[in-house]
Amino acid sequence: MTGLFNMILYVALSVHIILMGVAFVHLWHGENAVDRLIGYDLLGTLTLAVLVLVSLIYRQSLYIDVALALAVLSFVGSVALAKYLADDKMF
Amino acid sequence: MACQMRTMFFLILAYLLLTANPEWSNVVLGAAVAVLVMALIPRTADVRECQGFLKVVPAALQYGVILGVDLVKSGIQVARIVLHPKLPIRPGIVAVPAGCRSDLGRALSAHAMTLTPGQLVVGIDESGMLYTHCLDTTDAYASMTRAQETRAELLQRIFLSPQ
Amino acid sequence: MQTVLFEILAAAAVITGTFFSVVGVLGFIRMPDVYTRLHATGKVGVFGVVFLLIAAVIETPLGWGKGLFLIFFLLVTGAVTAHAIASAAYHINIPMEGKGDAGRDSGDTPPPWEPRA
Repeated sequence: MTGLFNMILYVALSVHIILMGVAFVHLWHGENAVDRLIGYDLLGTLTLAVLVLVSLIYRQSLYIDVALALAVLSFVGSVALAKYLADDKMF
Repeated sequence: MACQMRTMFFLILAYLLLTANPEWSNVVLGAAVAVLVMALIPRTADVRECQGFLKVVPAALQYGVILGVDLVKSGIQVARIVLHPKLPIRPGIVAVPAGCRSDLGRALSAHAMTLTPGQLVVGIDESGMLYTHCLDTTDAYASMTRAQETRAELLQRIFLSPQ
Repeated sequence: MQTVLFEILAAAAVITGTFFSVVGVLGFIRMPDVYTRLHATGKVGVFGVVFLLIAAVIETPLGWGKGLFLIFFLLVTGAVTAHAIASAAYHINIPMEGKGDAGRDSGDTPPPWEPRA
């Protein structure tokens, strides 16, 4: 049972890494600035998912702390970039 | 003063959740951190009455349940639309009156509306009109206005003042 | 017996979360314009991470507190990020599919699609 669960985890990790590649390609070839910004935000969310999966694979909760910090930084980054696009200035 | 006690209660609760260590020394440390955070944050104008904290709980619970049901429904609906081979969407922008007067009520309404299925608030103007982008605009206006009226009434009961 | 049950629950949560992540990226590719893409990524992408976090709360030695805090944080900030990006797109007049005046035909609301200064 544990072997099957580990296999599911590894498959989910590979799927998420492939999805990160797809999102990165879309970010590279985005049609306008806001489209690329959505790609950046999605890339941050997928990195969060990969960190949670790594913590599940190693059965360690240390990586969740990293994910918490990454969630805060990604949120602030996305909102600041959106504000910069809308107002042409950061603050 | 009651408002500050409430803010401090939530700050200490968040600290205890993050550290997961309910010993007394840790609670005292959390209270110290909460006082520090509240001293660092600039005080907004505190003119609201903060009496009757317990009467708020049922309204807040109802609001939370409505939000949770909407969240699950929105996930399932967007997944169904994306996986449908023909992509059955009729996107467009619908203007819905918020029904709240304060900034906090409008912001919370916009957040709740973003969580409801197939809707995304793209802008709020000075008169409190929420410009909502809908995935499916066929007779969306009536149901959205009704949902927003329920939400505004609940928000008024939560904050105990005409928002 | 109990650990097996927990493991089955965690596996179901991992599979559901991966499904929602795939749906989010698929919607990001398939949807026609910026606003509809935000629907797919902003809701479904966050859903995927939330299900994975439920699995992590069940299976790793992580307290319920930190997992619930992170789930709550994600549910709040996901909506706020989607709102900020959509507002930016509305301000700089990104073109959109479909009509922009659906509120007008059913009530006395003002015409909503006015590009602002």
